[in-house]
Amino acid sequence: MGLEIMDDVRKDSVRNRISEGYREGDRDFREYREISIEKDVAMKAEGSARVKIGNTDVLVGVKLDLGEPFSDSPAVGVIITNAELVPLASPEFESGPPNEKSIQLARVVDRGIRGSETVDLEKLCIVEGEKVWIMFIDIHVLDNGGNLVDAAALGAIAALQNARVPNERYDLTGDDTLSVRDTPLAVTMVEIEGNILVDPDCNEENAATSKLTVISNADGSLSGLQKSGSDSMTEETILEMVEIGIEKAGEIREKFLKTPS
Amino acid sequence: MKKGEEIEFIKDGKRLDGRTFDELRNIKIEVGVLERADGSCYLELGDNKVIAAVYGPREMHPRHAQDAKMAVIKFRYNMAPFSVDDRKRPGPDRRSVEISKVSREAFEPVIMREYYPKAAIEVYVEILQSDAGTRTAGINAASVALADAGIPMKDLVSSIAVGKVGGEVVLDLNAVEDNYGEADMPIAMIARKNTITALQMDGRLTKDEFGRGLKLAMNACHQIYELQRTALIERYNKRESVKFEEREA
Amino acid sequence: MYKVVIPGDFVSDDVNRAGEGTYVEDGKVYAVTYGVVDDKNEIRVVAFSGKYIPVMGDVVIGKIIEISFPYWIVDIASPYEARLHMSEVAMRAEKRVEFGNMSAYLDFDDLVAVKVINVDAMMRIDLALQEDLDIGSEGRLIEISYTKVPRIIGRKGSMIRMLKEKCKCFIFVAKNGRIWIKGKSEDMKLAFEVILMITTEAHTSGLTDRVAEFLDSSRQKVKKR
Repeated sequence: MGLEIMDDVRKDSVRNRISEGYREGDRDFREYREISIEKDVAMKAEGSARVKIGNTDVLVGVKLDLGEPFSDSPAVGVIITNAELVPLASPEFESGPPNEKSIQLARVVDRGIRGSETVDLEKLCIVEGEKVWIMFIDIHVLDNGGNLVDAAALGAIAALQNARVPNERYDLTGDDTLSVRDTPLAVTMVEIEGNILVDPDCNEENAATSKLTVISNADGSLSGLQKSGSDSMTEETILEMVEIGIEKAGEIREKFLKTPS
Repeated sequence: MKKGEEIEFIKDGKRLDGRTFDELRNIKIEVGVLERADGSCYLELGDNKVIAAVYGPREMHPRHAQDAKMAVIKFRYNMAPFSVDDRKRPGPDRRSVEISKVSREAFEPVIMREYYPKAAIEVYVEILQSDAGTRTAGINAASVALADAGIPMKDLVSSIAVGKVGGEVVLDLNAVEDNYGEADMPIAMIARKNTITALQMDGRLTKDEFGRGLKLAMNACHQIYELQRTALIERYNKRESVKFEEREA
Repeated sequence: MYKVVIPGDFVSDDVNRAGEGTYVEDGKVYAVTYGVVDDKNEIRVVAFSGKYIPVMGDVVIGKIIEISFPYWIVDIASPYEARLHMSEVAMRAEKRVEFGNMSAYLDFDDLVAVKVINVDAMMRIDLALQEDLDIGSEGRLIEISYTKVPRIIGRKGSMIRMLKEKCKCFIFVAKNGRIWIKGKSEDMKLAFEVILMITTEAHTSGLTDRVAEFLDSSRQKVKKR
């Protein structure tokens, strides 16, 4: 659909290589590309992180604003997650209002944070029914090398971990620490020629017909799932992917998100 | 969310509305309810009321969005402003855009898109009354409407949600359960093949609860498939008998 | 009794006889559309509804919707537009057909009987004029689903023969579901009613007999008047 960046020949070549057991960069099917996290990269943000997974480069910023709570939940703060797929990041991205890809990306990341109750929303309430913190989690994609969701989810949690509540800016007193209670992480997998591949790059994403993102928490529970793509999957594949997803998230958590607090 | 703790969702193995854990709400399916559409279906799932219309295959606009090899599926999930307690602002929002995408992808494995290069197959789902589970109701209705429109498909798609409420994994949450639910997981499935074409989850579930929930939903999809099938088959049997009666009169 | 099937229903084990409206998977034949099973030489599923997709050799009725030199763009009641080349009318044209005067020969909304002479992989469709069919003059156009066309024709043309005879009309049934009727206005009205009856009861048995009965009774009414 739309602009076809990769022709069928290239899709086939990816599929052929995968069926021969070979993956770009000699990567194991269950192996992530190199991950790096840089925290506090945006001075004006309350919290930020830049995550690279291979060629994929995502910047996440957390900003807090004062606002009114929703009428049906007057005693809690608000989280708004947004993603921008700016044209700078890929020839496939176009400027303009959010499209279904960016909306899905934002909503999947949002779901993970919400489902795990990572942020104590009650602590974001200042005056019940009147004044609460509105927390914006903005995902800014700089380079799309594939698997944006995992990078964005990791970036979001890393940014939250170093975010401070900007009491001073609004002449408020109170604790500046943001309570971050969990570490939901997304692990995305595709199925190509009967093989499950973790962390697909963009050629693999294009060659695959279905994809599953598994979001899991520190205690191994799930706080988000999203299947996408045009093919169906068996129950066995899904269960196996969930298993792998939880395991891989554990590894990433161990390596990058161990914080003293 | 904490308010939910005061409500006793499960009592003596029954839910608030008297259903067991693995019981579906009532489902009603009517085929061919719209005059202008190429195919249509009206569906009730408990207090959800949805209507699906299918147009096409017809020419794809805009032209640059055509696919030279196969038909493009357009899927629009839309809630009527009066379908929910607080009026919904008309038009697409982020939620409906995501649901539309997931729903479209639920049908991509079954529709013979390669039969109609460059064309569009358009599916419009309108939620007239909402009571949790509207996306699954919409997919079920769309599936029947696609068949009614004569769209070539490998199979029908059936859909239902499972969730967790009062600490239990239960089938097909209603609005009260959903509001206080701990998790919600809609799936879509090709019943005959037992393969999943859509899967989402939000809230929190253990791995074990997920596995049980998936099984529960998959079993329910088989029941829904039978209802979709019956609605389609009956429609033509009924039509035949009506015509014979008219002739005798 | 017709056997109604839905997409994905098992139809047969005989893969070699799998015909239109079916697909083969793992050595079995399944229905690909909602319709009825027709198990004769081939196993087919005759769809209840659907859109006409042109096939080479089909004779269809088209409507001119655009003039784009050197083609007339023709709507053929299909997801795909077709094109009729300027040279197609050159034979019967008095003057040279050229840029600027094409509408003098065929204009917007004009109906044409045309034959599909080429369909390529990109669904570009070329048409030729069906010279022996002049449907430009007075008459009536009925549009039905193309899936009902075989019922209007009937087994070995039995239904259409009866229609033409008893309605005393010229009736041309095109593959794309468009039907051209020409005759006295009373006769055309009757033909229209009968065609409507056939389309709504297309999938019932004993249809030919009922249509004959209907035609005879309405003719008698006319006579009595």
